Amino acid sequence: MLQDTGKEPRIGVYVCHCGLNIAGVVDVEAVRESARFLEGVVVVRDNRYTCSEVGQKGIADDIREFKLNRVVVASCSPRLHEKTFRTLLEKSGLNPHLLEMANIREHCSWVHYDNHEAATGKAKDLVRSSVARARLLQPLARTKGRVLPEVMVIGGGVAGISAALYLGGMGIKTYLVEKEPSIGGHMAMLDKTFPTLDCSLCILSPKMVEVAECENIKILSYSEVEKVEGQVGDFRVQVRRKPRYVNEEKCVGCGDCAEKCPVKVKDEFNRNMGTRKAIYIPFPQAIPPAYVIDEHNCRYLTQGKCKICQAVCERGAIEYDQTSYVETIEVGAIIVATGFQPYDPRGLPQYGYGRFPNVITSLDFERLICADGPTYGKLKRPGDSTVPKRVAFIQCVGSRNEASGGAEYKIDIDEEMGSSAGSRDPKAYCSRVCCMITAKQAFMVKEKYPDAEVYVYYIDMRTAGKGFEEFYQRGRHEGIVFLRGKPGEIEEQEDGCLRVVSEDLDSGCILDLVFDMVVLAQGLTPPEGLVEFAQKMNLSRSEDGFLMEGHPKLRPAETAIDGIYLAGCVQFPKDIPDSVAQAGAAAAAAAVMCSKESIEIDPLGPVIDDKLCIGCKLCEMLCPYGAIKVELTDKGPKAKSIEVACKGCGVCGASCSTKAITMKHYTDSQLTAQAKAILEVV
Amino acid sequence: MESVRRKDVPVVTVLDPKFKYEVAREPGGENIKYCFQCGTCTSGCKVAELDSKYNPRKIIRMVILGMRERVLSGDFIWLCATCYTCHERCPQDVRIPEVMNALKNIAVREGYIHPAFRAQAELIAGHGRLYEVDGFANEKRTDWGLTEIPQGCPEVAEIYGITGLHDLLSGGAGGKV
Repeated sequence: MLQDTGKEPRIGVYVCHCGLNIAGVVDVEAVRESARFLEGVVVVRDNRYTCSEVGQKGIADDIREFKLNRVVVASCSPRLHEKTFRTLLEKSGLNPHLLEMANIREHCSWVHYDNHEAATGKAKDLVRSSVARARLLQPLARTKGRVLPEVMVIGGGVAGISAALYLGGMGIKTYLVEKEPSIGGHMAMLDKTFPTLDCSLCILSPKMVEVAECENIKILSYSEVEKVEGQVGDFRVQVRRKPRYVNEEKCVGCGDCAEKCPVKVKDEFNRNMGTRKAIYIPFPQAIPPAYVIDEHNCRYLTQGKCKICQAVCERGAIEYDQTSYVETIEVGAIIVATGFQPYDPRGLPQYGYGRFPNVITSLDFERLICADGPTYGKLKRPGDSTVPKRVAFIQCVGSRNEASGGAEYKIDIDEEMGSSAGSRDPKAYCSRVCCMITAKQAFMVKEKYPDAEVYVYYIDMRTAGKGFEEFYQRGRHEGIVFLRGKPGEIEEQEDGCLRVVSEDLDSGCILDLVFDMVVLAQGLTPPEGLVEFAQKMNLSRSEDGFLMEGHPKLRPAETAIDGIYLAGCVQFPKDIPDSVAQAGAAAAAAAVMCSKESIEIDPLGPVIDDKLCIGCKLCEMLCPYGAIKVELTDKGPKAKSIEVACKGCGVCGASCSTKAITMKHYTDSQLTAQAKAILEVV
Repeated sequence: MESVRRKDVPVVTVLDPKFKYEVAREPGGENIKYCFQCGTCTSGCKVAELDSKYNPRKIIRMVILGMRERVLSGDFIWLCATCYTCHERCPQDVRIPEVMNALKNIAVREGYIHPAFRAQAELIAGHGRLYEVDGFANEKRTDWGLTEIPQGCPEVAEIYGITGLHDLLSGGAGGKV
């Protein structure tokens, strides 16, 4: 590591045009010249594309020729090319941490596209401040971290199942964590899938069985992730195992217990439209195929008497003394596949969901039309169990809606109904799958009841997908009438039928029609508790509330955190094939990570000066990752950094009252110099 | 179909959901349900250019919605010039001019015959052609050495009888348009 330290800074400044991305707004030559006489600068250049082979070679040549020991690249976000240039420095014999990037594209030319002069001024300021910081950069030694060849998949829906199968198939030990008693997710609740009309469980349950049989996959059902510590290659995940009160190994799923159980409660798997017992299995194909006791409703667990299930269980599988406990699992990578929750249309009271029994949601419809549902597949309207002859579907309920909905109507509604129905705030985005779900459901009504009149109210029909447009066309040909124009409200009549008024934009008529049943195509919203979950994992969320991917185009299954990947609807609403495809991408990325013997860890974190530390514990209290602890030493209580848990956020350094903590690569002197330079009047 | 008016916008409360199937069963109407209302037909329609009363997209829309009486009793289905421009361009292969023929056939069976067509049919029944050939014209023909054209044409009346057109023209419901 020659040239690194102990010498006067010799800085090279490279200002990038990025084609016209920067040069179209910023006067690149002027920015280059503004840096020429800054302290420590030895050479300044501008490049059409600094990241190109030619651009990189120029920097390497300059490092040799001018004996540079610091490099400033003024171009795009470090998220894109920091790695490129750090590698270049390393190859040229410089420590990679002697690079400083000024973001004059995202932070300058792109946001100030309408003011070239001011953008050029800001670019000069950014370059000047980067040079100021670069003068004080120090080489840092990277540390090596271990990589555990195991992966945790959080969420056992179709995305999580697929990811786990890909990983298990590669011989990677995989933990599949599911909060419900069975894996399967929302897909297990669907009757059929578009556009092929395959029975949903017929295609899902073989995969579920495969998961159960794969020796590399361990299913942790009825379990939730409580805490995540560590970093890429070496995560420690605390998983809360909820008590089933039934021994998973002993239970064979014979069902004698449920038959005799005296307690009947609403069945959430059937969207509260049917009943189940207090000891139950969510659905016949459940994996693991073991019963579970609902502790809030079990007579023995709530009132201390009953024990009927224990008496009838021939296998002795009932264990009332099970308790919840935390299991710590160490893995090298994590795939988050926690799915979505359907939009709760009670947020739009004008449609009467929760008040009018014959207004249902698309997920309710799936259970109603499913052979295993509360009506054994006979479409009966919930109000009076008659078969509806006129069915309307309303699209975009909770999607494509910027307004906050009917918050002004505060209508007393049955809070018990559909407690898992999800968020009530309408969303601005298109939920992507509802058009096809509705087309499929409308088709299923026609298929079962050819004489039924089926109408679909829509704003736009979005059927972009393999075989989707053809399916929509087939639906029209079957006689489903698609009406462009969204109804404003639904009125209930005395006979339980529903009056729907809309403008038919295609004919210019006002349609004032009456239906037996209305199905609301509910949108997809981020899963319950995602905000807290994202905080636990240090993951960012996009404006829409879903987890943010590493890059919208090029890293769609990754996150900004190394070693944590995304699959399925937790990233954004998507259909089954897209969820499975993303699960494959996430599994591949996780496998690449886990196949490494060790990884280099950026040496970001606190350096604690024991002479200044007074052991006040402020840092320990503030650290969100539990990565700094005050320990008693022979010199008194002193803060100690726990490197593997530290994510380098800098809270400890910023809060230290005695300035005993210095953040590596973000020292006070570096940041102050940067701030002062940007405020300098030139 | 019951219809009242609300500020110049027709309000429709009852639709005939079977009408679209009826039209699809009629020769020429087979593909009507494929229509997704793109408007390609109307954009190139020469008749629509002259008279906005004729809008093929809207006519098909009304059929799909089930506005049976309004479609069959209206005169707009008779305005298609059968130039087949829309037929060439329709992305869903709805074959609009043939749909119009199907609609006209149903309309005629229901007794809705456009007065212009009734007048034409009657002219042909009387003269065997769309205009009457008078004595003056025949005199001229004789001068030029051509044969005289007969003034009546009993064969046409016979065809009218066999095809049922005679009954349609004299039927009780006839001439509603």
